[in-house]
Amino acid sequence: MIGMNLKVDVDPRRIGVVALRVIRQLKRDRRTIGLITFAPIVLMILFGYALSGDMSGVTLGLVDGGGHDVLKAHLEGIKDFNILYLGSESDAERLVSEGRLNGAVVLEPGEVRVLLDATSIQISNTILAAAQAGAQEEMAKLLESLASLPSQGAKSGDMSGDVNLIVTRYLFGYDLEMMDTVGPAILGLVVFFFTFINASISFIRERSQGTLEKFMVSPLSRVEMVSGYVLGFSLFTLLQSTTTLLVVTYGFGVPMRGNPLTALAVVLLLGAGALVLGSFFSNFARSEFQVVQFIPLIITPQIVLCGVWWPLQSVPEFIRPISYILPLTYAGDALRAVMLKGAGVADILYPDLFALGVFFLVFFLAATLMLRREVG
Amino acid sequence: MASDKSAQSPAVSARGVDKSFGRIKVLDDLTVDIPRGVTYCLLGPNGSGKTTFIRAIVGMLKLNGGDLQVLGQPVSQVQTIYSRIGYMTQHKALYPDLTLQENLEFFAGLYSIEKQERERRITDLLDMVNLLEHRHRLAGDLSGGMYQRLSLACTLIHEPELLLLDEPTVGVDPRLRQTFWDYFDRLTSQGKTVLITTHLMDEAEKCKIVGYMRAGRMTAVGSPDEIKRLAGLKPRLELWLKEPEKDAARLKDLGYEIDSVDIAEGLVRIRLQSHDRIKGLLEEVAPLDMRLKEPTLEEAFLRLSEAA
Repeated sequence: MIGMNLKVDVDPRRIGVVALRVIRQLKRDRRTIGLITFAPIVLMILFGYALSGDMSGVTLGLVDGGGHDVLKAHLEGIKDFNILYLGSESDAERLVSEGRLNGAVVLEPGEVRVLLDATSIQISNTILAAAQAGAQEEMAKLLESLASLPSQGAKSGDMSGDVNLIVTRYLFGYDLEMMDTVGPAILGLVVFFFTFINASISFIRERSQGTLEKFMVSPLSRVEMVSGYVLGFSLFTLLQSTTTLLVVTYGFGVPMRGNPLTALAVVLLLGAGALVLGSFFSNFARSEFQVVQFIPLIITPQIVLCGVWWPLQSVPEFIRPISYILPLTYAGDALRAVMLKGAGVADILYPDLFALGVFFLVFFLAATLMLRREVG
Repeated sequence: MASDKSAQSPAVSARGVDKSFGRIKVLDDLTVDIPRGVTYCLLGPNGSGKTTFIRAIVGMLKLNGGDLQVLGQPVSQVQTIYSRIGYMTQHKALYPDLTLQENLEFFAGLYSIEKQERERRITDLLDMVNLLEHRHRLAGDLSGGMYQRLSLACTLIHEPELLLLDEPTVGVDPRLRQTFWDYFDRLTSQGKTVLITTHLMDEAEKCKIVGYMRAGRMTAVGSPDEIKRLAGLKPRLELWLKEPEKDAARLKDLGYEIDSVDIAEGLVRIRLQSHDRIKGLLEEVAPLDMRLKEPTLEEAFLRLSEAA
């Protein structure tokens, strides 16, 4: 029947005609071009600095009952802490409960007590971690001094060996900051976000201004139409990702250890996926306004579940499958591998490029099939 | 005249076509032939099924029943002849963020028209719709009527054999409307078929054939004159007389059909069996002034729909 007819003849010239038109339209859209430049800067500041997890201005009370010089010096050496010296533990307790201190450390010869206000878990964890690190340092010093005693010389080597049971070796990223680890993902996020929104709005407009109906009564097939869009937007994505890459690497100093072209290839594949996803979802919106309402549904899960800001391991297991179907998970992984570890195409082929390719193909097909149904 | 083509199958041939949206029947056993090489007007009130019929012709609707042929092809195969069909929707179907030239280039590109030929057609069409000087303006900056004209130009760019125009002259001023009609005449003289929907009677009067649609059916088909005859409408004569009452009575005795008498105005309205009777009438009365009113298509359709 009529509705089932799928035109599959493909003429590259017609794809080119659609692509040229898309480029001409995007070229005139000054606001979008401006947003491409500024959005990555804003996102880098937001996710790189604001959400980096580094703290400053933590107010810590210190009750010095004597006997823990090393631990005390350790705490005093942390520049993010503002230390207030207190006379007694009860003072510390009062100030913590009044909210004037984030926590307090009580040093006594036999024991060290840490008083915490756990309504802010991140702050109390930071204080606890600092106190534990100080205590460890103190213990190490103590063992060191024991070992240096001549009479114990024979056993000392064994004992210091026990203390150094945990040896940390950074295989990658020993020199990285939060900024560097989010940079690659922001590149993916910016491209995904803008391509998705732009594509769905473009398709909504094709429908509302009647051009889609006109296409349907022309030799242009659905495959040609969606392909033309992919091609046109790809040039745009290339421009966008190059800009973002420059902002991220030069503006914010994120390393680029692999080949930038490999990174761009990943972004192009991600952008193509975002485009067909946008085209597909435009079928469920009646207006541009409704497209914007897709953001919490489509974009936010990608940010939360892609494993960049919160590791996949921290995502509950029943939600984790969602992470593994979201393209940003793979793009983020691939981009970090290329930019931070210097991975090549072969290293990211599976699962990252493979998954992005499958995602694109599935939604390309879905978008193409949906176009007809809408008009019928 | 492309008589060889007119001799072929009709441009559009519908036999008992049914289409429902849910429980609403939009096309109800619609049967009509639209011959080639004419301007054919689908006339009818809003919701009578005109647009649905056009969308059925271009294969955009799944029919519930009946047989529909377009340029000799069953409608299920219509996508193979899309390059021979021009379709202008009620939406203007243009890109406001492209210039006029770019819009036309784009639509020309869809039909793989070569560059040189494309430029020639773009110039010709922009000239016809009187937009040549605006060639490099953004379409979004045009007024409503100009936008409509550009939309028509985009529909004509591939010189289609069958033109389907859904309310093409909305917002176009009367002078330019005439230019459109002249252009349509030129197209039909080349053997092309122009199918137009409208709810404007004066537009319909200009078409060779008018099909009046009501509730998804074709209730009357014919030339505008034929339809008036079909509706049984007669021309009306308005006479301004010194003694309207007396004269009206006398004319009535002579067998004239008096429609109304307005004593205050001195006006007598008469329905004429034929124009021949005017001469005899003037021998009986000496009017101060008179006016002949021909029946309009509108009256004809009102009459026809009342009868239906």
